[in-house]
Amino acid sequence: MVRLYFKHLLQDIKVALEYKSSFIFNFVSSLIVTFTYYFMIIALFDKFSNIAGFTKYEVLLCCAIIHFGFAINETFFRGIDKFDELIIDGALDRMLLRPQGVLFQVLASRTDLIKISRVLYAIAIMAIALVNLNIEWSFQKVILLLMMIIASIIIFFGLFVLMASYCFVTIQGLEVKNLMTDGGKFAAQYPIGIFKKGLKFVFTFIIPFAFVNYYPLLYFIGKENNILYFFSPLLVFIFLIPCLLSFKWGLKRYNSIGS
Amino acid sequence: MKAYFNYFKLMLITHFQYRSAAIAGIFTQVFFGFVYILVYTAFYESNTAVNTPLDWAGLATYIWLGQAFFSLIYPMYIDHELLNTIKNGNVAYELIRPQNLFFKYYFKTIAKKLSHVLLRFPAVIMLGFALPASYGLSLPHSLLNFVIFVAALISSLLLCSAYSIIAHLIAFYSIDARGITTFFGVVADIFMGGVVPLPFFPKVLKTIAYALPFRYIADFPFRVYSNDITILEGLKLLGYSSIWIIIFILIGYIISKTIAKKVVVLGG
Repeated sequence: MVRLYFKHLLQDIKVALEYKSSFIFNFVSSLIVTFTYYFMIIALFDKFSNIAGFTKYEVLLCCAIIHFGFAINETFFRGIDKFDELIIDGALDRMLLRPQGVLFQVLASRTDLIKISRVLYAIAIMAIALVNLNIEWSFQKVILLLMMIIASIIIFFGLFVLMASYCFVTIQGLEVKNLMTDGGKFAAQYPIGIFKKGLKFVFTFIIPFAFVNYYPLLYFIGKENNILYFFSPLLVFIFLIPCLLSFKWGLKRYNSIGS
Repeated sequence: MKAYFNYFKLMLITHFQYRSAAIAGIFTQVFFGFVYILVYTAFYESNTAVNTPLDWAGLATYIWLGQAFFSLIYPMYIDHELLNTIKNGNVAYELIRPQNLFFKYYFKTIAKKLSHVLLRFPAVIMLGFALPASYGLSLPHSLLNFVIFVAALISSLLLCSAYSIIAHLIAFYSIDARGITTFFGVVADIFMGGVVPLPFFPKVLKTIAYALPFRYIADFPFRVYSNDITILEGLKLLGYSSIWIIIFILIGYIISKTIAKKVVVLGG
C-alpha cells in the first residue's frame, strides 16, 4: 500500500515538473505566504517581551509545530481536503469499485507539492527556535519533540477526515470546514494557555490542540515536571477514533446519484 | 459607460444570492476577531509597562473593523473566471468586445466586493458594539472622523479592486497564474496592515509601509476612525489615496491595451 502511494506521488512530481517556471514561481510565492504566518509573532515580539510568560522562541516553536503538521497533510493528503470535489464529479464512485480502501485512495488521489515549501519553512523556524531556547537535552526530550510533531500531523489528519465525512451530509464543502481547520490552526499557533477559559476548554476537550503543543510544551521547556505532561500528546490518537468512525459511517450511507 | 454600469448591477444582484456563504463568512470573521482580540489581550496584559504603539480601544476597534470589512479589503482574492479565460481561450472573445478588458473586470470586482461586504459587515459591527467595552468596537471619535472613515473606505474599495485586476492581468503572461496573483496579494496584505497593524512594525519596515500605496486599503480607514490618524492628517491622506487610485487605473488600462496587442490565441 505504501509502495502504491509512492507511485502516485512520483506521478504527481512528474506532472509538477512539466511546468517548471510555474512551479518555481508558485513555490516562491508560497514561501512568502508562509512568512506572513510567522510575521505577526516576530513583529509583536519586537514590541513586547513575553505573552503570558512565554518568550518569543517558545511561541515560535509552538507555532512551527502546528504549521508542520498542517503542511504535511496539505502536501501529501490534499485529496481529503478537496473531498467535496471528488463527490461532485463522481470520482468517488470509481474509487468504490477498486480493490483498495477508499480512504487510502482519497489520500493518494492528489498531492500538492508546492506546499512542501511550508514544511521546509516550519522545519527552519523550529530549528531557529530550538537553537535559541537553551534546552537541557535528554533522550526523553527528543522523544517528546517527535511525539508533538506526530501529534500535530495526526490532529490535522483527523480534522480533515472529519470534515470529509461532513461532506457526505452537505455535498458542498462549506466554509465551516475552513473555520475548523484554518481557524483552529490560527489559534493553536499560540500556547493555548494564553486564552480565556472558554476557548481553552474547546481546544482541550473538543478539538485537543492543547495536547499537541501546549501541555507537552510546558514539559519540554521545563515549566512542568509532571510525567503526565510528557505523555499528553498520545491523547490525540483518541481524537482520531471518532473521526475515522464518522468517515466509515458516512461512506456506508453514501448514495451515488450516478449518471 | 452604460455597459459597465450594467456589469456592475448584474454582479451585485448575482452575489446577493449567496446568503448561506455570507453566514459562514460572518462566523469565520467573528471567530478570527475573537482570537485576535484574545492574543492581543494576552500581550497587553503581560506587558503593562511597555509603551504600546496603539492604545487598547484603538486596537480593538482596528481588529473588529478589519473583520467587518474583510471582504472589501482582502487583496488576495482570486477571480477564477478571469483567469480561466486564458486557459480556455475565451480571452479572445473578451478582446473583441467593444468594452475595455480592464474596466469591465474593474467594475465587476467592485460590485462583487461591495455585495460581499454589504451582506457581512452589519452583523460583525453589531456584535462588535454589543461586546463589553474592553473587547469591543468603540464609537467613532467624532462625526468628522466618521465622514473621513467612510470616504477612506470608498477609496480603499476603488484602490484594492484596481490593484487586484492589475495582478490578474499581469498573470496573463503565464499559464498557471496562481503564484503571481498570490504574490501580489501577500505583498499588499502585509503592507496594508492586514497581518499586523502598521504601528507595530519595526522602524525600517514602517517607513517603507507608509510610503507604499497599500496603507490606504486598511491602515488609513481603520485608524482615522479612532482618531489615531487625526482629521487634518486624514484629509491629506485622502488626497494621496485619490492620486494612487488614478495611477492604478492608468496602469491597468495601459496593461490591458498592451495585452490586446500582444495576445497570441492558440487556434482551436
